[in-house]
Amino acid sequence: MSDRITLTLRAPLERALDAEVISADRLAALSAQEISSLRLWDGRNPVALGDVFSVSGERAQTVVLEGDLAKLHGVGSMMSAGVLEIHGAIGNAVGARMQGGAIAVQGSAADDAGSAMSGGSLVIAGDVGDRAGGALQGASKGMTGGHIIVRGSAGREAGTRMRRGVLCCAAAGPFAGLGMIAGNIIVAGAIGDGVGAGNKRGSIVALGGVRVPHTYAYACTYRPPHLSLMLLFLRERFALSVDDAHLHGLYKRYSGDLAEIGKGEILEWQAT
Amino acid sequence: MEIRGVQIDDTFAEAFGMRGVRIIITAKNQKWARESANKLTGFATSVIACKCEAAVERELAPSETPDGRPGISVLLFTMDSDSLPKRVIERIGQTVLTCPTTACFDGLPDSPDRLAIGKPLRTFGDGFQASKMIDGQRYWRVPVMEGEFLIQETFGKAKGVGGGNFLILAESADVALDAAEAAVEAMAGVPGVILPFPGGIVRSGSKVGAKKYKGMIASSNDAFAPTLRAITQTALPEGVNSVLEIVLDGLDFRSIAAAMQAGIDAACRAGVHSITAGNYGGKLGPYHFHLRKIMSGDLDEAPKADASKASAPA
Repeated sequence: MSDRITLTLRAPLERALDAEVISADRLAALSAQEISSLRLWDGRNPVALGDVFSVSGERAQTVVLEGDLAKLHGVGSMMSAGVLEIHGAIGNAVGARMQGGAIAVQGSAADDAGSAMSGGSLVIAGDVGDRAGGALQGASKGMTGGHIIVRGSAGREAGTRMRRGVLCCAAAGPFAGLGMIAGNIIVAGAIGDGVGAGNKRGSIVALGGVRVPHTYAYACTYRPPHLSLMLLFLRERFALSVDDAHLHGLYKRYSGDLAEIGKGEILEWQAT
Repeated sequence: MEIRGVQIDDTFAEAFGMRGVRIIITAKNQKWARESANKLTGFATSVIACKCEAAVERELAPSETPDGRPGISVLLFTMDSDSLPKRVIERIGQTVLTCPTTACFDGLPDSPDRLAIGKPLRTFGDGFQASKMIDGQRYWRVPVMEGEFLIQETFGKAKGVGGGNFLILAESADVALDAAEAAVEAMAGVPGVILPFPGGIVRSGSKVGAKKYKGMIASSNDAFAPTLRAITQTALPEGVNSVLEIVLDGLDFRSIAAAMQAGIDAACRAGVHSITAGNYGGKLGPYHFHLRKIMSGDLDEAPKADASKASAPA
């Protein structure tokens, strides 16, 4: 038994690999030999994990991935427990359908990070591609729980059809919260156009300004009491930089999307 | 045993099991948290007629509250589990929901026994309410004319102890009040303990039932009433002209014992004759607070077998 399992990329990846098998809970009970014999997929062709990664350590709750992993997709899929540390960039669908545990990406992540996740935390130090926390292709719901913290920018359609949970990012591309059912999106900086289109009950918090869609209506300027609670929790749990001015400041509340049931909201922080 | 010339009687306070919650009220400032807490804990001195006992436990700094605002911690107890949520819901609904700027949180987050408190109160929002899940807890945002009222969906329930007490026997009413006030001040802020009576002090200690009126649940404790010394079987030593009682409820035995220790010590001052306690001979309440043990520094609950052998006051 080791304190961690480390998978180090043997050589730069030339082709994309499907690596859904790599998650902390699946590897936790395996020996180094068993881990090496797990299958990755190059299209329809299986590839032994040990041929791609050198494996050190075994039977540990923490798994570390090292190397340029931008072509490695699906890492941490359906993970339910343990810790997965990714030292570098990672490919598509990291933490997709994740149920628990913690994934920390020290670089950036590609598209569909944390899509349809239901629990746990996915913290990305860099940027993410499109549809972070969103729904899988054709699915009715995006993330239904857990926390996605993006310290950089999120691409298009972050939080698409999300049902529950929290998605935080420094900036967001167009159509953040598209078709949002409920849940929370908090954006510290700029947000692209079309934010919250089709939003039913979701909360979108804009700390750095927002162009409010025409299908939202201004309600009032006030201090949302739940927001200080949520921001304090995020500051404490994920060391997010949250100013006191954001904790206790005034926010403009816009109700929408009025083309939907209109029980959602955009809360726009007001600098004093 | 004597402390600074004040006799500590060889007796015990007899207390009962209760069920309680800790309610955290936050507000824009301490003034409004206090306004709400004062109303919530109003008319909650004794279960005999108020159906619950409640009081402020202590003030909370912004760093101690869930939303980073000034707050107040309140403890509320009932005699049974069934009536506890009803009392809490009606009081929060009328005194916290209505009070400007307040929010309301559970103060016993580790308790596995949960009461639905915010859940029924959310319906004041008439369908416009919204919930938020934060750190695994559900909160309700209830729209009100001021803005929004925030309340946690469930509150933890704890087994508590009610009816810890001691009596201050003094040479005059002024001395008794000064000693009682000193005791209350010394007990203020002891975690997990409240003093539910006005200013923490009771002047009308009671006995169970009545000698004359059959329907009475409680009546004046004539044995300790100085004006009746000559015509009843008095318990008052010579020179005692006034008695005041301190009643304590708490979340556990040790907290009450610690508060009693601090309070009794502070009450031992010039003009106080003795400190005694009220009990029913040890037959009714399972918790016995032996004054001399507590003042000797032993704050732990006696094993039940020993407690059952406790004798009536001298």
